[in-house]
Amino acid sequence: MTISRRTTALAVLAVTSVLSVAACGGGGGTTGGSGNGSTGSAAAGSKGGTVFWLTKRPAEHLDPQRTYIGRDLSIENRLFYRDLVSFPVGKQGEEATKPVADLATDTGQSSEGGKVWKFTLRDGVKWQDGKDITCEDLKYGFSRGFATDVITGGPNYQLGYLDVPNKDGLPTYNGPYKKAAQADFDKAVTCEGKTITYHFNKPWADFPLAIASLRSFSPYRADQDKGDKSNYAVFSSGPYMLQGTWQKGKGGTFVRNTNYDPKTDQTGRKALPDKVVITEGLTNEIINQRLIADSGEDKFAVTDRAIPGSMYSQVDSNPTVKDRSTLVNSPFTDYLLPNFNSDVMKNPKVRQALAMATDKTAYITALGGDKAATPSKSIVNPELPGYQPNPAFTAPDSGDTAAAKKLLEEAGVPLPVKIKYTYSGGTPTSDNSAAALKQGWDKAGFSTTLDPLTDTYYDVIQNPNTKSDVYWGGWGADWPSAATVTAPLFDSVLNGVGTNPKSNGQDYGNYASDTVNKLFNQARNAATTDEANSLYQQADVQLGKDTAYIPLSVTKFYYLHGSGVTGYAQSAASNGYPDLGSIGAKQ
Amino acid sequence: MSEIKRDVEFGAGTAQETLAPEPGATQEKAITGRTPWQLARARLRRDKITMVVLAVVALAIVLAILAPILSIIGVLDPETFHPELIDGNTGGLPLDGGGGLSLQHPLGVEPGTGRDVLSRIALGMTFSMTVALSATLITVVLGTVMGLVAGLLGGKTDFFISRIIDMVLSFPVTLMLLALSGMFIDIITKAGVPAGNPSNGAYIVLVLGLFGWPTIARIIRGQVLSLREREFIEAARSLGASNRRIYFKELLPNLWAPLLVYGTLVMPAYISAEAALSFLGVGIKPPTPTLGNLLTYSVNYAAADVTFFLFPAIAIAILVLSFNLMGDGLRDALDPKADR
Amino acid sequence: MFAYVVRRIFVGAIMLVVMSLVTYLLFFAAPSDPARFTCGKNCSPELIEQNRKALGYDKPVFVQYGQFLKGVFVGREFPDDPELKKSAPETIAECPAPCLGYSPLQSDTVSSLIATAAPVSISLALAAFILWMVLGISGGVIAALYKGRLIDRALVGSALIVYSFPTFFIGLSLYIFVAIKWQLTPIPVYTSISDGGIGPWLYGLFLPSLTLALIYIAGYIRLTRAFVLESMGEDYIRTARAKGLTQRRILGKHTMRAALTPIATVAGLDLGGLLAGAIITETVFNYNGLGKLAVQAATTYDLPTTVGIVIVAATFIITANIVVDVLYAVIDPRVKYS
Repeated sequence: MTISRRTTALAVLAVTSVLSVAACGGGGGTTGGSGNGSTGSAAAGSKGGTVFWLTKRPAEHLDPQRTYIGRDLSIENRLFYRDLVSFPVGKQGEEATKPVADLATDTGQSSEGGKVWKFTLRDGVKWQDGKDITCEDLKYGFSRGFATDVITGGPNYQLGYLDVPNKDGLPTYNGPYKKAAQADFDKAVTCEGKTITYHFNKPWADFPLAIASLRSFSPYRADQDKGDKSNYAVFSSGPYMLQGTWQKGKGGTFVRNTNYDPKTDQTGRKALPDKVVITEGLTNEIINQRLIADSGEDKFAVTDRAIPGSMYSQVDSNPTVKDRSTLVNSPFTDYLLPNFNSDVMKNPKVRQALAMATDKTAYITALGGDKAATPSKSIVNPELPGYQPNPAFTAPDSGDTAAAKKLLEEAGVPLPVKIKYTYSGGTPTSDNSAAALKQGWDKAGFSTTLDPLTDTYYDVIQNPNTKSDVYWGGWGADWPSAATVTAPLFDSVLNGVGTNPKSNGQDYGNYASDTVNKLFNQARNAATTDEANSLYQQADVQLGKDTAYIPLSVTKFYYLHGSGVTGYAQSAASNGYPDLGSIGAKQ
Repeated sequence: MSEIKRDVEFGAGTAQETLAPEPGATQEKAITGRTPWQLARARLRRDKITMVVLAVVALAIVLAILAPILSIIGVLDPETFHPELIDGNTGGLPLDGGGGLSLQHPLGVEPGTGRDVLSRIALGMTFSMTVALSATLITVVLGTVMGLVAGLLGGKTDFFISRIIDMVLSFPVTLMLLALSGMFIDIITKAGVPAGNPSNGAYIVLVLGLFGWPTIARIIRGQVLSLREREFIEAARSLGASNRRIYFKELLPNLWAPLLVYGTLVMPAYISAEAALSFLGVGIKPPTPTLGNLLTYSVNYAAADVTFFLFPAIAIAILVLSFNLMGDGLRDALDPKADR
Repeated sequence: MFAYVVRRIFVGAIMLVVMSLVTYLLFFAAPSDPARFTCGKNCSPELIEQNRKALGYDKPVFVQYGQFLKGVFVGREFPDDPELKKSAPETIAECPAPCLGYSPLQSDTVSSLIATAAPVSISLALAAFILWMVLGISGGVIAALYKGRLIDRALVGSALIVYSFPTFFIGLSLYIFVAIKWQLTPIPVYTSISDGGIGPWLYGLFLPSLTLALIYIAGYIRLTRAFVLESMGEDYIRTARAKGLTQRRILGKHTMRAALTPIATVAGLDLGGLLAGAIITETVFNYNGLGKLAVQAATTYDLPTTVGIVIVAATFIITANIVVDVLYAVIDPRVKYS
């Protein structure tokens, strides 16, 4: 569930109040966004035209059960995969991440303390070929996630929650292709007419949030399923459908789905443009140069690629361009993880010294400055409910070399302390930001070797035996709750730290603490969200005391869009990316 | 076979077409009492362009050798960040609104970091030229050995080596360089080269060398085949000279000229190759500067910081151009029959 | 002649088989684990094992290569999972001959990926080829005719200077300045003829093919110039001049004919190499040809696709070599092959 803007990692999802943005960038001194309210200066859009989405990284999957990238989850929901519940279009703040009924008549009814969930399908909801979306389609879609040999890459919460027999920690049910233990699945997910019932083995209070955030629970028509061959196939239940085929690395064109009935859709999807064209494979520089130039089709273009630092001055110096820029907090944070398996990092004073010497300001400057990121005080994104600055990190943003030196002396290790810093590199920005950190550390008495990794990054940091001392990490919550941040990252039991010799799961720093594990368990069984949040906060405090991580920054999304775009919005409902539910092309 | 390959082949191609000083011709000239090298030197001196590029190349080499020393003693400073010279709010552009050119930083400072551009280009030249030169040496040595072996042993060995040459030439080199990088850098690291940039650099050197030698092997093989039949070899043989003597005393001296010219033409191709590979994400990474990774970063500033956009590109172009022209000049000087 | 052609093709075919084996070994016998690269980033060890079996990576590498060869000649099915074949045959991907493998990262057969990308690369290669041949040869002839004069030096010099800049620098500069900032040309986007007709196809090709051509032009100017000068020194040209033939006639009838043969040889080989994709130009302009497919495959460790493209590229190069040699024999009567 991790992701970072620099790696082609997994996904990330919505975070509660990603600052919402109106179509007007801010003028004057402070750049852009964080304007609130609805769609600002953009006139109410009219139907017609084509909207272009320019991007770099190809979608790894268009199969709903395999998608796990925040951008793709949002695009799918707005254009072609409706879900039982979805996040509303055109809402801001907390409203934006409150699921509303979509294919279902309501946002679900739970019983048995959240262990059983019931949804009823609306009348008149149809597939792109005109056939009704049925309860069986929902059940079939859900079942696909269990075929972990075919349906790969997606989130796998269903494996842990569904009330089916397990063997070796995995359900014996293995999906609709091989159908082992199908009867167990049929018992756990049942259909009565248009009503579907899910039976879980533990309470899942967040289930509607998970449905709205992920596409794991989308309906899927069995007769359209060709397993892996369907990876880039789109069989639409939403306002648009794929024209022709999707080409990975190039993209595809979506046109209106005539069997979509807007009357059945209460989420606010406006479906303004006649066509949506998604182009993959462009670089950030080219995309944003084209958006600055704003000519031809690019007038109707949006993107999920931030303006590179090299272009800030072009945007700032031109008011008409600046008006088309938006700046919002993203769901992502960057941080460092000391490797608790490294001898030198086992010394708590060394970890504290490292935290003290860390120069977040230089790091952020190398990323592109205050429009690329802001310093953070916790691994939890400030936009998440239950966020609090971690009291353990007292160093100023640009680090405190003297204090760090003192800590190193107290640590009683020979100076300079040789450390290796492993990070997801290979781009000038990532390499420069690593060099910026190295500078700060080396001044305080460390001697840093940089170890940039590209494709092998996750392999290396997931290996408990890796000989490195500090790792870079980036993370965004899977759905708007602290439960999807610290617990998956630092629960040593869940991640198999110390028990699995080959992998530390997502606890890359091999951190293990019984105190923290206990707090996580209490939080999972907490009766109220507030209680859970307070327990997660206690856990975070302990993590800070142990210097289990060092916070670096909160990533910002600084985006441009074309002058012909109407209804432009970025909100938590679309994971901070442009929301195709409201965007149109000026006629 | 795409652009890098073409870069490599361009050197090789021209070398193949018009190189190969006629051994007979050199022999004739020797009668006048001046060695071929003296003749070549005299011809070079009259060639103004070549003299100029020779000076440029010499200067570049001196700078490349001095840069690490100057960095250590602090005259050049390629790695220190200067946050005070850049504006964090404009994406780290130099504060003066231009490239940050000043007396301390004659070529300005790098946007985003404030590092001194001149120092980075100078040290970048050191690393780029080290990589290119090492790869050239491997290419030339491997090519010479294979060419000599094929040409001298003949028969099955010749057939076998010639097929290997054909095959290596049929590989799409750029793609191989890119695709093999992950695994082979891993192997190089496991073989004991320090992880990170030393391994990245070693990979480029090795793979450029391993895919580059066939052309020179072909040339050398051709030379050997024709030399073998020449009168002076026959004369040596009839005088009872050993094979060993024939190879080293009679054959090798006649191969120096093509090797020198070819080496000079391969060098710029490898400098370009390093840059292209950096762009594709393979190679030595910052903070260690190479001309390639500098240019890869600087192209992002096409619109925002013109001087930073241009300087690394110009540095590469001057190097590549000078080496190419020097190769041409050497060829003309060493091969009096070549038409200019 | 016929025997020669047959022999060349035979040797070429053997070379391809050997090359495919070498390539296969390079990628699949390397100490890295090919199965690891089959499922993106959140690969669980279990999933890797599953994929290893499904794609046959658990078998010895020579057995895998045998299966690969079998796929090339008679086709294969993916995944090779008897249980799945029985319970859900619709999920099995047919890969008819010539099957170069199946890419689990792109959920498609390698042959179909290559078939989709090839027209883009071929269009680009041909457009660039025409540009550089026309500009390179005419430039070379002009330079030769005005040997030593300013125009000669300007032509040869400027071509060399452009050639000295890395391709991606030239390509990006053209893209950013010519297309985006000054808007002198449309944004270069590849539009196939079947999608948009000849016009958009050509517009889209202009900047990328120019970038590619600029790298080659320098070589061709120099080559043409050298050959023209060389043949102008030949006895028969002197004879023609002595006969009182005009310069133009000599150039058209005699000099060019002699010079074109070696140029055609080099050009054929260059084109053969380019057909398999111009990696950097396609990357810069986001052209989804074989070059960009190759980069995408290489950077995501998509081994089947990488191996497939290497083999296709080698086929192009080897074929170009054979064609050029045979043509050479046809054009130039002095060349005889036994």
